[in-house]
Amino acid sequence: MESLEILTAAVADPFTYARKLKKDGGKKVVGYMCTYAPEEIIFAAGAHPLRLFGSNKNIILADGHLQAYCCSLVRGVLEDALSGDLNFLDGMIFPHTCDTVQRLSDIWRLNVPAGFHLDVVLPVKLNTASAREYLIDVLNLFRSNLEKALKVKITGDDLRKSIALYNEIRNSLKRVYELKSKNPQIIKGKDIYTLLRGAMIMERSSYLKLLQSAIKELEKSAIKTTNTKKKRLVLSGGLCSHPDIYSVIEDAGGDVVADDLCTGSRYFAGLIKTDGDPITAIAERYLQRVICSAKHKDNKSRAENLIQTAQENGADGVIFMLLKFCDPHAFDYPYLKEALDKAVIPSLLLEVEDQPQAQGQLQTRIEAFLETL
Amino acid sequence: MYTAGIDIGSITTKAALFKYGKLAATKLIFTGYNSEAAGKKIFTEILQEAGLKESEHIKVVSTGYGRGSVSFADKAITEITCHAAGARYLNNTIRFIIDIGGQDSKAILLDENGKVKNFVMNDKCAAGTGRFLEVMARALEIDLDKFGALSLKSQKPAPISSLCTVFAESEVISLISKGVAREDIAAGIHESIATRVSALAARAGLTVPVMITGGVAKNIGAVKALEKALNINTIISEHAQLTGAIGAAVLAQNLK
Repeated sequence: MESLEILTAAVADPFTYARKLKKDGGKKVVGYMCTYAPEEIIFAAGAHPLRLFGSNKNIILADGHLQAYCCSLVRGVLEDALSGDLNFLDGMIFPHTCDTVQRLSDIWRLNVPAGFHLDVVLPVKLNTASAREYLIDVLNLFRSNLEKALKVKITGDDLRKSIALYNEIRNSLKRVYELKSKNPQIIKGKDIYTLLRGAMIMERSSYLKLLQSAIKELEKSAIKTTNTKKKRLVLSGGLCSHPDIYSVIEDAGGDVVADDLCTGSRYFAGLIKTDGDPITAIAERYLQRVICSAKHKDNKSRAENLIQTAQENGADGVIFMLLKFCDPHAFDYPYLKEALDKAVIPSLLLEVEDQPQAQGQLQTRIEAFLETL
Repeated sequence: MYTAGIDIGSITTKAALFKYGKLAATKLIFTGYNSEAAGKKIFTEILQEAGLKESEHIKVVSTGYGRGSVSFADKAITEITCHAAGARYLNNTIRFIIDIGGQDSKAILLDENGKVKNFVMNDKCAAGTGRFLEVMARALEIDLDKFGALSLKSQKPAPISSLCTVFAESEVISLISKGVAREDIAAGIHESIATRVSALAARAGLTVPVMITGGVAKNIGAVKALEKALNINTIISEHAQLTGAIGAAVLAQNLK
């Protein structure tokens, strides 16, 4: 698949890609930390939103600022920043989510000279009327702060165009997941990972074209193939930075047919309404979308969503993939596990780090879990 | 009709040979650097012992961390599933297995039929493993075989607070320099491993009867400390260290 090759190259080296985009296209590049950063507004401002993941290098400089209980994502991103690899950034956006990301914002403000720095101080509870009002205010403030930082005017039309593009990207990604769930063998898990990650790294309009051409090819191969007898699994957690995990699962006789990941279905879940005030519409999507563990909605919606995802996709089991030291997700785990047990859905807990894994142990856990299904 | 199970662990390689569904021979050697060679060597030796030729048709299941390197095996099955099968062969009432091997420890919960219901493994560090005990016995200059029995003599176990093997070793060295009695340090070390492993057992859903398997089951100090920490009695088979290999040979009987 040609589109996949282009995506793979960009995903393998996002910094070179972004530097080139800046040099050749004159785009300003704005880094961001998670799906609670309103990318649509950054894109509407004519800038390029680049999600940062940390490039798995050895941590040397970041440990001078972070304690041992900080996750490898934050550690990796700070290392990239302090080592100068992110000097091309024109600005950086920190959504108010977990404690560690908030503190990364502070450390960044004091120690990373590159570009402007904006916090998006989101509400923690997302299910109250005042939170809704407050969120709309926060996003309006972000819009005007971004206008000042980038010295541009973001019009209602700019926002509506951006929203339309993002809706199309999200619809297309949803289509990819539907195809994968129906015919797991037409695309490897690691390629799904690449397709998703491309959405957070590449220039969005050209990305959409690549994605659509990939879908066309997938639809063609979906007609020819029959269903496999492999075990169907759902991955749940924060983010996945291990394309290898998909191969380990596939080698052990399983397929990831759906997920509940920030770098997976939470990225494309929910469309933004195209009528009415665009900022309000962006806020509405955040309020309705399934939450990240760092946010609060009620005591059951995440579990209900996970069970529904597993059941709708005919999953044999769920693998929790938690980033070590990610306390919001770790705190959610016992209640999610209990809910799955009640629904008689087997699950496995894996703790992973962005830096390379003890592959043997990971393999034994996954194989043993599949043997029990 | 013969079947064989080969369990390639991080420190030792074990083999079990079954004849008409009954355990006929066992063997244990050090794994060393080349796990593939260890698998071949032990298979040849156990066949010789039983007076069999390699040409005879024997179904083989490999297990353990080196399970993928046994080229002549008909199937590779994880040590989790093999320990379950092995423990139930040795005692068919077992509902829970605590396996403490050379580089990892596992807690495995079984359902009434012996099927694996849940399992928890230690993290990638050596805390709570056989290797931890090896390092500590060496620091105290005690033979590993006598280490457990020595710890039982202690009246006042010295607390070891570090879970990390490297840090715990330096803690042990400062206890030695303070002149704390050997048996008290040894008892403290066994309590430390018991605490670590009981946490795993609690997470997996401890249910009696419990069997302890793996090389550390041979260490009476570790077993007693674990029984005390869990507040239960455990069942230990004379074949504890061979449970994985026995389970693999049991599962080989189901291969077509």
